[in-house]
Amino acid sequence: MQRFNFPVVQPAPALEELRADLQLFLKEEREAGNFRPEPECWMASADPEFSKKMGKRGWIGLTWSSQYGGHDKTALERYIVTEETFRAGAPVGAHWIADRQHAPMLIAHGTEEQKLDILPRIAAGECYFAIGLSEPGAGSDLANVKTKAEKVADGWKINGQKIWSSGAHISHYMVAILRTSPADGRNRHVGLSQIMIDLSLPGVTVKPIVDLSGDAHFNEVYFEDVIVPDDCLLGDEGGGWKQVTGELAMERSGPERFLSSYITLETALWQLTGKMGSDNHGRLGKLIANLRTLKGMSWGIANLLSQGVSPETEAALVKDLGNRLENDLTMEVRALLNDLPSEEWSPDMRRIMNIGVLRSPPNTLRGGTTEVMRGITARQLGLR
Amino acid sequence: MINTDGMVAGTATKIYTDLCGRDVPHQAEAGDYPQALWDALAENGLPLAWVSEANDGFGADYDEVFGAIWASAQAASPVPFAETLIANWMLDQAGLAPTEGSASFALSGHTPSADIPFGMHADKIVLFDEAHQEISLFDNRAAVRSAEDALSPDGMTQFIFSGHLAEQSAKTNLSRRAIEAMILTVRAVQMAAAMEMALNISIEYVSQREQFGRPLSKFQAIQHQLAVAASECAAATMAATQAASSIARNADDPEKAWHEAVIAKVQISHSVETVTVPFHQVHGAMGYTQEYDLHHYTRRLWAWRDALGNEHLWSKLLGTELALTSPDQIWKGVTTGEWIAS
Repeated sequence: MQRFNFPVVQPAPALEELRADLQLFLKEEREAGNFRPEPECWMASADPEFSKKMGKRGWIGLTWSSQYGGHDKTALERYIVTEETFRAGAPVGAHWIADRQHAPMLIAHGTEEQKLDILPRIAAGECYFAIGLSEPGAGSDLANVKTKAEKVADGWKINGQKIWSSGAHISHYMVAILRTSPADGRNRHVGLSQIMIDLSLPGVTVKPIVDLSGDAHFNEVYFEDVIVPDDCLLGDEGGGWKQVTGELAMERSGPERFLSSYITLETALWQLTGKMGSDNHGRLGKLIANLRTLKGMSWGIANLLSQGVSPETEAALVKDLGNRLENDLTMEVRALLNDLPSEEWSPDMRRIMNIGVLRSPPNTLRGGTTEVMRGITARQLGLR
Repeated sequence: MINTDGMVAGTATKIYTDLCGRDVPHQAEAGDYPQALWDALAENGLPLAWVSEANDGFGADYDEVFGAIWASAQAASPVPFAETLIANWMLDQAGLAPTEGSASFALSGHTPSADIPFGMHADKIVLFDEAHQEISLFDNRAAVRSAEDALSPDGMTQFIFSGHLAEQSAKTNLSRRAIEAMILTVRAVQMAAAMEMALNISIEYVSQREQFGRPLSKFQAIQHQLAVAASECAAATMAATQAASSIARNADDPEKAWHEAVIAKVQISHSVETVTVPFHQVHGAMGYTQEYDLHHYTRRLWAWRDALGNEHLWSKLLGTELALTSPDQIWKGVTTGEWIAS
């Protein structure tokens, strides 16, 4: 028997052409000083101007139909774009979540009018979304959400608070999981629904939360009698839990789970060319072997997902391994850099290294903590 | 995943299921060599799977045979099936006839690889002599050999080549790297398979064993240890599959599969400690006994991670080479598996 299913798939030549186009664009943008590379760029570096350039090149909205402003390609093209922008540490944070998550959600559950209105703007890099899952009392215990949506004559009236919503301060919409009817006794998974909220509506207040490095990329979002129209309920009323957990399972295995910190290594490798001491060679070999293996797993799952298969166990394993690798990478690069006197470090190197260390804690938290992942794995192994 | 659907893999799986149940590795270790198992493999021509048809072999796809090796490792094969496959492949690559019996292999050169796995049971030894670019076949039974202390039940012997005449010899175009790629890939497949079996045994054990009034599997501390081990097992399967796929893609020039094979070696050998510690931990003292099955897998994992040099040696060999290439080439390798500039 074989417990784990990871197909090996060689990238098609067309994908490698796309990769080359991306590399050229990113090099030019960086050399022109249009962005400063950073680790965790998909979460913490947002630049609407950069997103619009990506949109113009056709690198957002790859996965959906041109009828809605997309480019009729697949998730595999999107994977290549993601990989290359992470390698460059490019500021993709503004559009990234909408492209990954909310556009597919609208395609599945939105009205025709919503699709025609919103999807082309997402693809153009002009319309951004925030995630509304966590609340002060609902972190890993997501089913404990208290924010309510009440049925009213002209739609849904929302009251409550979301927290840790990255990019909400620049986003146009949030898709939130809300309680639309009470829990059924101890079963809290019923009565939850996903609702899209226009963040410019009266009653919405977005308050930035400053992280330990001084950045403010995530937010508290308050709702006070916010009224959204009926068609903002996405999917089934009361079916929100199933929809959210299904989405989360699809999001555990992408490049954002193991390449968020690669820019730190990339920057160090350029600095260390010809200067790496032999004592560090083993460290480099191990790190690259680990990266290559994770890439194989992540890419294998991406190919399964594109065939409509969602391997939940494998995806949870990739997130656990990949998040550990992201933090290990930063620590290993610190050791590699001992081969370069610190006065020879480029300004970029020092900045990126520092950001890499400061942004390491959320790697093993967001999208489901390591502990939650291990719980999922344990259940899949038949231990729970 | 390793392809276990093909005819070769199917035949091997059936033979191992029929003739290598859980008691067989125990009996083998007690001195009762499972000759019937070897005979069944040989009668079906399986040790010749990688020998070309022109040389009276199967000429089977590389891919399919890795599935047979997977099955043999999951059964804790007490016979040198994988070793004979490699030995016959080496002979075939030099245009020499395959052996009729069992065989093992050695590489001359910079690693102390005259330590031969299954050295007490293999009929023949195939040696790659790098300095002379030669493959030679030796009669093992007539040789001066001594059993070494070995981690694994497969044993390890020292074989004294000097003064012992080869039965056959031929020049080969195969590079050392090509042979390393093949051996490391076979070992990677065996290790991933053994890890998965040890995981299965551990899951089974913690689901049955009760302490404090409930099965061990219900304790979160146990669940998380095995979840971490499972993630390493999954990574091992991936690394082995990637290496096997690289060999299959580069059948004409296995040297091109060297990087992916080394990556599998490094990835999996580093994981051995990460998985065998929790596997033994959750078993308590039971896993430490000879009568229990776990050690058939963990001891082989400990031996295989050292085979041809340990994870530290290979990490360094790989890193030394990567340090000389450009960051662009490293990225290309990581993302596409193409490690050699074209």
